[in-house]
Amino acid sequence: MSQWFTSITHALHLEGVLAALKKKPVTHHRHTIWYYFGGLTLFFLIIQFVTGILLLFYYVPSAEGAHESVKRIMTEIPFGWLIRSMHSWGANIFIAFMIIHMFSTFFLRSYRHPRELMWITGVILMLLALGFGFTGYLLPWDETAFFATQIGAETPAEVPILGEFVALMIKGAKEVGGATLTRMFALHVGVFPLITLLVVLAHITMIMLFGVSTPKSAVVRGEEKYFSSYLPKELAVWLIGFAVFIVIAALYPWELGRAYDMANPTEPPDNVHPEWYFMFLFQTLRIMPEWMAFLGFGLFLVFWAVAPFLDRHAKNKVHTIVGIFILLVIAAMTVMAYSELEPVGETPGVLKVQGDSDVLNAIWFFAVMSLFTAFVILLWRKRNKRLQELENGGAGEQPKI
Amino acid sequence: MEGKRRNVLKGIFGATAAFFTAPIVYAVGRFISHIPDVKSGGSATLAASEVAPSKLIRVGEEPVVVIKEKDGDIRAFTATCTHLKCIVSYRPQTSDFFCKCHRGEYDTNGVNVPGTRPKRPLTELTVNKDGETLTISLTPLKPQNA
Ligand code: FES
Repeated sequence: MSQWFTSITHALHLEGVLAALKKKPVTHHRHTIWYYFGGLTLFFLIIQFVTGILLLFYYVPSAEGAHESVKRIMTEIPFGWLIRSMHSWGANIFIAFMIIHMFSTFFLRSYRHPRELMWITGVILMLLALGFGFTGYLLPWDETAFFATQIGAETPAEVPILGEFVALMIKGAKEVGGATLTRMFALHVGVFPLITLLVVLAHITMIMLFGVSTPKSAVVRGEEKYFSSYLPKELAVWLIGFAVFIVIAALYPWELGRAYDMANPTEPPDNVHPEWYFMFLFQTLRIMPEWMAFLGFGLFLVFWAVAPFLDRHAKNKVHTIVGIFILLVIAAMTVMAYSELEPVGETPGVLKVQGDSDVLNAIWFFAVMSLFTAFVILLWRKRNKRLQELENGGAGEQPKI
Repeated sequence: MEGKRRNVLKGIFGATAAFFTAPIVYAVGRFISHIPDVKSGGSATLAASEVAPSKLIRVGEEPVVVIKEKDGDIRAFTATCTHLKCIVSYRPQTSDFFCKCHRGEYDTNGVNVPGTRPKRPLTELTVNKDGETLTISLTPLKPQNA
């Protein structure tokens, strides 16, 4: 260990914590693969923070300037198209990994004692992620964003008693407009990141304290140390994830729709719809009254948050059934929503950009190098493991329980 | 005795905390919940030839759709869908209105079609024609539609 590291940990009185962390084991069983999704979610959250901060250097949060500034980022600022594309693609991938992580945690019952609070912080993070998605969608100020936000912001108004007030709070004005944009911006870059940072810290601290949970049903095939053995594998997975991600972001740069012009109202574009993770809600609202959809969503949230406290018996099958039901409803609504979209041709006025071939080649090279590095890390880890087993007297051949 | 004293102390502590936080919460609450007033009323003009066969314009703060019917009559309606406030489109083939957001429908007179999501009609507005110039004002044509 380098001297720097030793003196810093000494100065911060972290020796005890580090010693405990070094001993932390990660168990091996047939569900181990799901452990990686938590780390991947964190990795993509970091990407969102970094690319988001970069976009802040040029983005102008006003109804008059927003669209123009995003256009400028995409066309004038060096690598602007790539950074914006990474932020938009990253948001979707982050949410996808978060959903996988959340449902796998649910189905493996990893939320059980003593990890109830960890689960609750996870539920809060899910809501924050959806909040990030909703508030960020409006920021480019294009037509689709405008109408999707219009629908999203107006939906609560249909709910009796508090609904109208909530809708006004989201819009910051009687109608969606410049005030809504600045409000969404404040939430997206100020309020949500700050809360997210605190909650993520709590979430990670708890995983450090409690370690990963081993599902009750799993047959443990062995275990490994987190730092010396699991972390390199996790890093390799991050590198692979990053390689795939950067290639997608570069080959399919995120587009920018036509600017929404407040002075000259226009009809919504054909097939106006929100991002895929809100599609189930969009479809639910199409086929049932708002209050009913909200009641359903509210009940789901309450159940989701208190799930660890309801699930006390090892043989409890109810949760699995409810989880599958929720998943099926969400999937069915999403599929239905997409199947109802009518085929439309090219939307007019959409700005598409493409990196020049030198940059694309460099990105390919970068991605291949990332994959190669991941491969080297995995090989190196395997060799270390083998050496360790030999040192332990050929423990590798002994059956592990 | 000891417990009682602790309770009193806790009470004093709680009251002091509330004393300091309540005004802050109130001020922050008022700050973020300020909703500016919108100016109601207003009018806008356009040339009759621009309505071919419909035109979306803004009158004051309100999006308005001006339409030319088959017999040449010009009418104006609020264009904000009464469901979740998307903007409605005029369909000249069927002379009715359609909202793309949740497939809301309104008939020729802007009345919501039962069974579709909108629950209230669009408001028909007053159109004044002076030669080629149309003046649309936000005054409802019929009071019952308002
Ligand atoms: S907003 Fe028009 S039908 Fe929903």
